[in-house]
Amino acid sequence: MKLTNHLFDYLLFFTAGIIFLIALNFFKGEKLIEFILFLIFISFYIIHGIYHHAIKDQLKLKIVIEYILLGFLVLFLIKLLIFS
Amino acid sequence: MKKIVSLITHLFIPHEKNQYQPKAIQLDFLSFYLVLALTLNFGYRLLSHTSLQILGFATDITINKLYQLTNEVRQKYGLLPLRYNKNLEKAAYQKAQDMFQKNYWAHFGPDGTTPWQFILQNGYQYQYAGENLAKNFLFSDGVIDAWMHSQSHRENILKKEYQDVGFAVVNGILNGEETTLVVQMFGSPEQSSLNTPSQKNQIVPPVQAGEKKETTQSPVLAQTEKELPSGKKISLISFNYHLNFVLFILLSIAFISDLYFANRLGLLHLKRKNIFHFLFLSFVILSLLIVKQGKII
Repeated sequence: MKLTNHLFDYLLFFTAGIIFLIALNFFKGEKLIEFILFLIFISFYIIHGIYHHAIKDQLKLKIVIEYILLGFLVLFLIKLLIFS
Repeated sequence: MKKIVSLITHLFIPHEKNQYQPKAIQLDFLSFYLVLALTLNFGYRLLSHTSLQILGFATDITINKLYQLTNEVRQKYGLLPLRYNKNLEKAAYQKAQDMFQKNYWAHFGPDGTTPWQFILQNGYQYQYAGENLAKNFLFSDGVIDAWMHSQSHRENILKKEYQDVGFAVVNGILNGEETTLVVQMFGSPEQSSLNTPSQKNQIVPPVQAGEKKETTQSPVLAQTEKELPSGKKISLISFNYHLNFVLFILLSIAFISDLYFANRLGLLHLKRKNIFHFLFLSFVILSLLIVKQGKII
């Protein structure tokens, strides 16, 4: 199974990340909007990750938990930073 | 030394003892990080409610650092350093308070209040005056960098006619959001007023930062600021920011390490998720560089 087989998924996620950074830069200094942007990007990361594994029939509970743990970890640390 | 190497190997290199997955990214460790993050959130909120000195939002911006950086920039361009003026500091503080009270973020108030009114009210008769504003930055150097990358603010900082400066860094609620405002006010005293106090009230209309009006008495808009009430917040925000950076970078290293060794063992298909995790963390790390910045006008 080569990485190129999943090129579309990687490019989709990469594009989403770039859009996220551009939006964040545009709204820098607006704390609430910044946090909402993080929320959207983290949600996209979790949903996209789970969906990606589901359509490849490789979805396991451990993978789902891994995405959720990492997503929520970033969410809570960023929340502390933005609204500290 | 051997123990440290063994620990690093255990955390970041997949091998038999860690079930061929770096311990740093195993579920139990990820859960531990999450609990730590939740504890920090809870602890910080608790601290905010129990300590009168901690308001519940903070930056690492200090007047001393802003003043030092401003003069460093001026000296770098061969200009004389500015003197710190308490009257300008009071004017800057009042300007910040006015913005919070009237809920605006601009050089001129919704009722037509000008920055020069605050300067004059505090007994500073100017020949030149200026104001720079910033909000929601995390660090002092970010504020100065942002101003130096904006032509009008840069001209304010590097204006050779200015002799004095005052700052205020003030926390408050603006548009329903916890906000840290930074106001920097420049000025040079009216020459005639130094000799004849009775002529101090002769003022020329102000000019915004960046305007090139060649009038000897034209003020330029700048910002005011006020000291933070607590040194504790400073260390907390700095600690939190760097904690995020270090943690996300270490996690990225662990995911890449796991991916690299999986590739060597021909098990890449089992670790493909690591690419998403790594990409995700990379974007989050980049976003930290943006989040520490705020807005200037």
